Amino acid sequence: MESILNEEVDPADLKRFELMYNEQVRRGQVSEKAKFEYAWCLVRSKYIDDMKEGVALLEDLFKRASDDGARRDYLYYMSVGYTRIKEYPQALKYVKALLKIEPGNHQALQLEKFINKKMTKEGIMGMAIVGGAALALGGLVSLGIALAKK
Amino acid sequence: MASSGSKDGQLQIKVVLLGAASVGKTCLVSRYVHDRFTSNYQNTIGAAFVSKKIEALGKRVTLNIWDTAGSERYQSMTKMYYRGARAAILCYDLTERTSFDKIRYWVGELQENEQHCRIYLCGTKKDLIDNDTRTRAVPQNEAGIIAQDLRTEHFETSSLTGENVEAVFQRIGEDYVRNMHSYPENQPKQEDDTQQAFHIGKSEEKGTTSSCALGSCFKR
Ligand SMILES: Nc1nc2c(ncn2[C@@H]2O[C@H](COP(=O)(O)OP(=O)(O)OP(=O)(O)O)[C@@H](O)[C@H]2O)c(=O)[nH]1
Ligand SMILES: [Mg+2]
Repeated sequence: MESILNEEVDPADLKRFELMYNEQVRRGQVSEKAKFEYAWCLVRSKYIDDMKEGVALLEDLFKRASDDGARRDYLYYMSVGYTRIKEYPQALKYVKALLKIEPGNHQALQLEKFINKKMTKEGIMGMAIVGGAALALGGLVSLGIALAKK
Repeated sequence: MASSGSKDGQLQIKVVLLGAASVGKTCLVSRYVHDRFTSNYQNTIGAAFVSKKIEALGKRVTLNIWDTAGSERYQSMTKMYYRGARAAILCYDLTERTSFDKIRYWVGELQENEQHCRIYLCGTKKDLIDNDTRTRAVPQNEAGIIAQDLRTEHFETSSLTGENVEAVFQRIGEDYVRNMHSYPENQPKQEDDTQQAFHIGKSEEKGTTSSCALGSCFKR
């Protein structure tokens, strides 16, 4: 799973699909294919702004999609995109939506497992930080009490 | 690492599976890696990745396998998955003529773009033919001729029974090890200036061959 998520688009490819897409936008007729290819490159970019733009394009594609097959694939890459952006709750929402369309999809299950693992890990870390702050605060309070008692 | 090269002294080989939708690429990989077979079809989204460590000719090798989607939707993106591959398994369904015709497209693409990628032909679903020979849509010798032209191997496999599945991947590992010095990732690395000067000084005594490998052919 990590290999799929860490895989980065070659900047030359991104450029190529961007040009194709922009050309169609300029002509006022954007094909689903060109849009998807560009979004797919963006989601795998090194830059977070690109990933966000890619996810936005996918969301738009998803809304207009006419068949479940296409919808399933857009959901997958939305989830991949949000995972790369580290917005795990969003990522989880989309992968779960995919599993509604195709229960038991292997790639989706793997992705879901990965997201859950990340969330647990960050959840524990989050708690450790909160816990640490509570300890520090507790220390100050008891110091305050100690001082007040003097 | 999901490409070719070496890591911690282990050889890494990027392998890509190409072919029309539903010819059985994912099943081939999952029989090989997990020794599993499922008959319900889930067409692959984009590409899936899995790696497997094997031993080939006494060397430890990791196969980094990219299983691409055959669906038309992904055709122009597949190029990005075969880039840098050292082996491509071109799959076709032995019972489906059109899937065999598609092979030529991939052969053309690879020959044009990936000079270091070896091609392996793989006719899938052999069990169907063994059950009923009338279902064969691609004669064995026809695929054999293409294989000969390309100087590659031709396999007929069944992911249902497992027949010949291991053989394809094992062959890829062995071919790579046998030819490993012909790949750019296994060429001697460029060294820093001081070391390079030292080596050139030394190699001039021995001859010119190694100085060329260090990127100073002009010294000849
Ligand atoms: N009998 C038999 N059926 C097979 C064999 N290999 C694959 N199948 C069936 O063929 C269908 C497609 O297999 P997949 O491996 O998913 O095909 P694919 O090439 O990965 O398809 P895409 O991901 O869409 O490109 C599934 O229903 C499999 O069960 C085989 O060796 N024998
Ligand atoms: Mg597949």
